[in-house]
Amino acid sequence: MSTSTDEVGTAPAPWYRSERVLDVVGLAARLFLGVVLVWAGFAKVGRPLTSQRAVQAYDLPFLSLDVAGWIGLALPFLEIVLGVLLVLGLFTRPAAIVGTLLMVVFVIGISQAWARGLTIDCGCFGGGGQVGANETKYPQEIARDASFALAGAWLWWRPRTLASLDRVLFGH
Amino acid sequence: MAKNSTKPRPGNARQAKIQAAQKANGGGGVNKIVVATVVVVVAIVAVVGGVIWMETSQKNAVTGGGNAVPAGAAGLGAGYPAFTDVKAVAGAPTLDVFEDFQCPACKAFEDQLGPTVESLAKEGKVKVVYHVKNFLDDNLRNDSSTKAGNAAFCAADAGKFQEFHDQAYANQPSEGAGFTDAQLKGFASAAGITGSALTTWQQCYDAGKYVDYVNSVEKKSFEDGVRGTPTLRLNGKDLDLGQVGTPELLTQAIQDATK
Repeated sequence: MSTSTDEVGTAPAPWYRSERVLDVVGLAARLFLGVVLVWAGFAKVGRPLTSQRAVQAYDLPFLSLDVAGWIGLALPFLEIVLGVLLVLGLFTRPAAIVGTLLMVVFVIGISQAWARGLTIDCGCFGGGGQVGANETKYPQEIARDASFALAGAWLWWRPRTLASLDRVLFGH
Repeated sequence: MAKNSTKPRPGNARQAKIQAAQKANGGGGVNKIVVATVVVVVAIVAVVGGVIWMETSQKNAVTGGGNAVPAGAAGLGAGYPAFTDVKAVAGAPTLDVFEDFQCPACKAFEDQLGPTVESLAKEGKVKVVYHVKNFLDDNLRNDSSTKAGNAAFCAADAGKFQEFHDQAYANQPSEGAGFTDAQLKGFASAAGITGSALTTWQQCYDAGKYVDYVNSVEKKSFEDGVRGTPTLRLNGKDLDLGQVGTPELLTQAIQDATK
């Protein structure tokens, strides 16, 4: 008797579990992480020395200054590429996986700097390098990057989102 | 991704159309492998191209003039010893000062402790070596630190490094505004460089005679572990500016380091 609906024959899911709502959450996660990555990347473009020094300031024992410098030059563009893919919703899951892992690496990097008593700015959105001992913001920086990692993890788990190129091009 | 692909749902015409297209196409609406390849290639080109572009722009920024070394400095990368006309007392320690002319914290240090450093140096109680850095140019996207550094060593040619240095900090523009050529020339004349000496200064400034030297100091000091400005090193040991923040404390620290 009922006119056909999407949920024929199944118990209606609570509103917060409906596909539509989950898709919207996914869209929000995608735009959040994507916009942040694009923003973080562009803040570093055109500032090669600052980008290099920001990475070198982490003073990672297994990275020579040279290698850290190259990472500093490459990071902004990697961030922009990942961010654009996420904003477009193209290859959402692979982009989200790399983005999540990147954020986890950042959290580890900041934590080890904190633990070793370095006094640096994370250089997340440009800047970076040494700051005064009372100017460090390690807890805020870690919390912020962890929230980005969470958004990435959501998309890793459930890459289907509203208004994505994945859906337009590949149908999912 | 397969796990999340939607099941066929009646009533969703768009979905049905897409799936029909997928079948006709042998599995992908558009060929996913082709799109993936394009995306990966574009991504690699963007990252590699970006790195090369940044590296090139950096190289262009760091060479822009001569590679002269100011009198008294041991070579490219080495600091510039000031007050060399003063005879230091026996056992006087060496104070290395790492500064960037655009750094506001350096101005704060100069305002607070500059006169103390200067008078102790003039009494021969401390040997002051300046390391003029220019890393803020990159972050502020200008070239004022390099220009001011070059200008200061052009002033050193006329024996007026310290005077120029003091002028530049006393009149430091707000962060990011940068020094103009006219301002720097004004500092030179205020430092006491006049007449033909000022003409010589101008030629040196225009030629960028010490640009490479300033760049070399920037690089070397970073390699030597200087991670911020101002950094003070007394006989090779970093001073905590929080511990020597007054003329009395700094004088005491220098006295304590005197052998």
